[in-house]
Amino acid sequence: MSSFNLLVNGARRTVEADPDTPLLWVLRDRLELRGTKYGCGIGACGSCTVHVDGRAARSCQIAVREAADRPITTIEGLSADGSHPVQRAWLEEDVAQCGFCQPGMILEAAALLRATPRPTDGAIDEALRDHVCRCGTYQRIRRAIHPAIHQAGEERR
Amino acid sequence: MSTRRAFLQTSALTGTALVLGVGREGVVAAPASTTFRPSAWLRIDQNGRTTLVVDKSEMGQGARTALAMILADELEADWAHVEVEHARPGPDFPDMHTAGSGSVIDAWKPLRKAAATARVLLVAAAASEWKVPETECRAESGTVVHASTGRRRPYGELVAAASRLPVPAEAPLKEAKERRLVGQPMKRVDGPKIVTGSAVYGADVRVLGMLFATIERCPVLGGKLLRWDGARAKAMAGVRHVLEVPTGVAVVADDTWSALKGREALDVAWDEGPHGGFSSQTHQQALATAARKGLRVTRDEGGVDAAFARAAQTLEAEYEYSFQAHAAVETLSCVADVRADRCEVWAGTQSPNRAQAIAAEITGLPQERVVVHVLLMGGAFGRRIAQDFVREAVTVSKAVKAPIQLLWTRADDTRHDFFHPATAHVLRGGLDGAGNPVAWSHSVADSYLTMFGPPDLKDPETFETWGAYDNLYAFPAFRTDYGFVDSPVPSGAWRSVFYPPSVFARESFVDEMASAARRDPLEFRRGLLAEPRMLMLHERPYDRHRLRRVLEIAAEKGDWGRPLPAGRGRGLAANMYHRRTCVAQVAEVTIDRGRVRVDRIVCAVDCGPVINPLGAVGQVESAIAWGLTAALKGRITFRNGRPEQSTYRDYPVLAFDEMPKVEVHFAPSEGEIPSGLGEQPVPTVGPAVTNAVFAATGKRIRHLPVRSVDLL
Repeated sequence: MSSFNLLVNGARRTVEADPDTPLLWVLRDRLELRGTKYGCGIGACGSCTVHVDGRAARSCQIAVREAADRPITTIEGLSADGSHPVQRAWLEEDVAQCGFCQPGMILEAAALLRATPRPTDGAIDEALRDHVCRCGTYQRIRRAIHPAIHQAGEERR
Repeated sequence: MSTRRAFLQTSALTGTALVLGVGREGVVAAPASTTFRPSAWLRIDQNGRTTLVVDKSEMGQGARTALAMILADELEADWAHVEVEHARPGPDFPDMHTAGSGSVIDAWKPLRKAAATARVLLVAAAASEWKVPETECRAESGTVVHASTGRRRPYGELVAAASRLPVPAEAPLKEAKERRLVGQPMKRVDGPKIVTGSAVYGADVRVLGMLFATIERCPVLGGKLLRWDGARAKAMAGVRHVLEVPTGVAVVADDTWSALKGREALDVAWDEGPHGGFSSQTHQQALATAARKGLRVTRDEGGVDAAFARAAQTLEAEYEYSFQAHAAVETLSCVADVRADRCEVWAGTQSPNRAQAIAAEITGLPQERVVVHVLLMGGAFGRRIAQDFVREAVTVSKAVKAPIQLLWTRADDTRHDFFHPATAHVLRGGLDGAGNPVAWSHSVADSYLTMFGPPDLKDPETFETWGAYDNLYAFPAFRTDYGFVDSPVPSGAWRSVFYPPSVFARESFVDEMASAARRDPLEFRRGLLAEPRMLMLHERPYDRHRLRRVLEIAAEKGDWGRPLPAGRGRGLAANMYHRRTCVAQVAEVTIDRGRVRVDRIVCAVDCGPVINPLGAVGQVESAIAWGLTAALKGRITFRNGRPEQSTYRDYPVLAFDEMPKVEVHFAPSEGEIPSGLGEQPVPTVGPAVTNAVFAATGKRIRHLPVRSVDLL
């Protein structure tokens, strides 16, 4: 057991944990941030996606020792009230079905738009190809990302 | 109850997502006179707060939204101010089973009746107060209005008076044209919580003092525990208990990671039992043999043998469909808290009443001492009908005398699934000299399903395979057979159950016959759906013209007959599901470097009145994605008695960039009764795609999923 300082959603949190513990389980079991989901544990489904240093990352593939002292954003911290352009676009298009994979999808899309304000369809495919939605909401996700691009652009102006 | 307090305490400590559960359930019930509760389905308090109770589990199919819409519409509630609460199994809700695309079907009558009764009482209360005839008053968006004077009273102010009125035996339902919510596109009620990560799924439940459990199960079908040593696991940090349970060895720890690490440290030996040599390849051969033999005739019309003897041309083909997994993204989990005098269970379950009965059985408590909280499910697709995971969780909690959460890993979830069973089909078709279809024979072999116990081989319905037996095509001579092959593979309901394999074989083989007859596949099918209009099976009518109509809509919207460039093709398939919902699809594919890319699927549906078009279109998109996984990617194989797949890498599902453009067209509904939609668009996906592959390449695909080698 070791002590780690985590910077999650703008707040400093200290946890005692086995250094190899995946960030996913620290978020879910210690920090009570359960919007980050477990789907596979091997980085294949994307449900556990969070932002680390502003980039989308799979929290099941990052040990807590690697995550220490780096800014982490989870779905709970993407906006205070669901007002992030991607969240708004998701609601507007009524994307979710069961919704379980959607926090990961939303964080991936938000990271993409931050890095590439006007992504091509190819870049959108590249970012979301490895996210599993067993309900098959992909068509609506694609439809939601386009207005989100626009909204995010408006807000930057 | 102390448990509720514990729940509240947990959430106060953590300030987290559990607020949803607490906000709804932790509210102190108002005294009877201030809450109007004419039935278990709804209640209105004196502030007008309207709570609608949904008794169907939410797995993404939109039950919470659609059922709340049905209630709110008939009640004339103000949609912006209703709250949706989940029912709990008990005397008020003795059957919450959520399966068979039945949420809306089951709800349609009782929910409208309950809400209409409440509305009538509220109107009567207002009329009585105003001393005017009830016929001069109407309900409108949470208020009662007196038409001629314009007086209005909000429902909340009528609660006390309405509660005192006798409940009428009959309450008139709204006519279709009076509906204001049903039929309108409404957004999912849980949407805001989903996009902020605060929606609570089964895996997200935490209760005070809860421990985390995982179970190592036998990797071989039907094997059992031989010996185990938990000393190393017990010595791991955070591990509290290591214990034997009926399905294996459980490790219980302070958190998930410690439980998983402890499990890795277990020393376990298994008795592989009688099925250590089981292989799906050998099983598939046994299925093909059984299909060829056709042990039981289920329909035999018009003298099939003689018709084949007379036919100018006879075709024969074998089709195969692989084992499939459910592979919902949320793996199975359950929280159980067994105490001496009570038990609480929190689970995403399709069978809450079964969960309650199982917990009562294990604990020895009367059922009323077992509370089951139904949580959102991160997908279910039929898997959560089985309550094996609930049984395990209650067993572990009882043994360690603490609340526990049992979590299945992805590998557990894949390897210990109730799989969709493999099937084999032998089809024969006869054409006369002019290319007219004159004979049809379809023989199916499978292992039926084990989820509900051993198959009943005395019940004729066991053999009347969906999609083969209820084939609507009117061949002058027609026969279906069934062959049963026993299998150790646990099998169960899987979105659209028995239909996909039979419809794949049937719709492909109809195409083969059309091709042999040099007829257009659409025209060939239209001819088979013309006369007689009605098919009668077990004295129940099947309307061929309803199916023909959706076929024609799909063909028209899907540009049937319009030329495509080389390397591309269009395919058609149609199916009537359980005598009611009709679906037809046109798929467009491109063959690209030995792979099938599905570009577009146009789907026409007749499912009766659509409650929520926005949700309904989503269900069709979802069903198509489901069908495409099975058609293009999904396959579970067994070797040495073990499933060979365990992750999304070796059992891949349809990916983002593989989703075709989906267009959905609802046929104008003739009926007034919804007939189900969640599963119905699945079965036609595979054959529409493979018929399109044939159109593009001349290659006939008779085995799903499509392999690159089949395209060479």
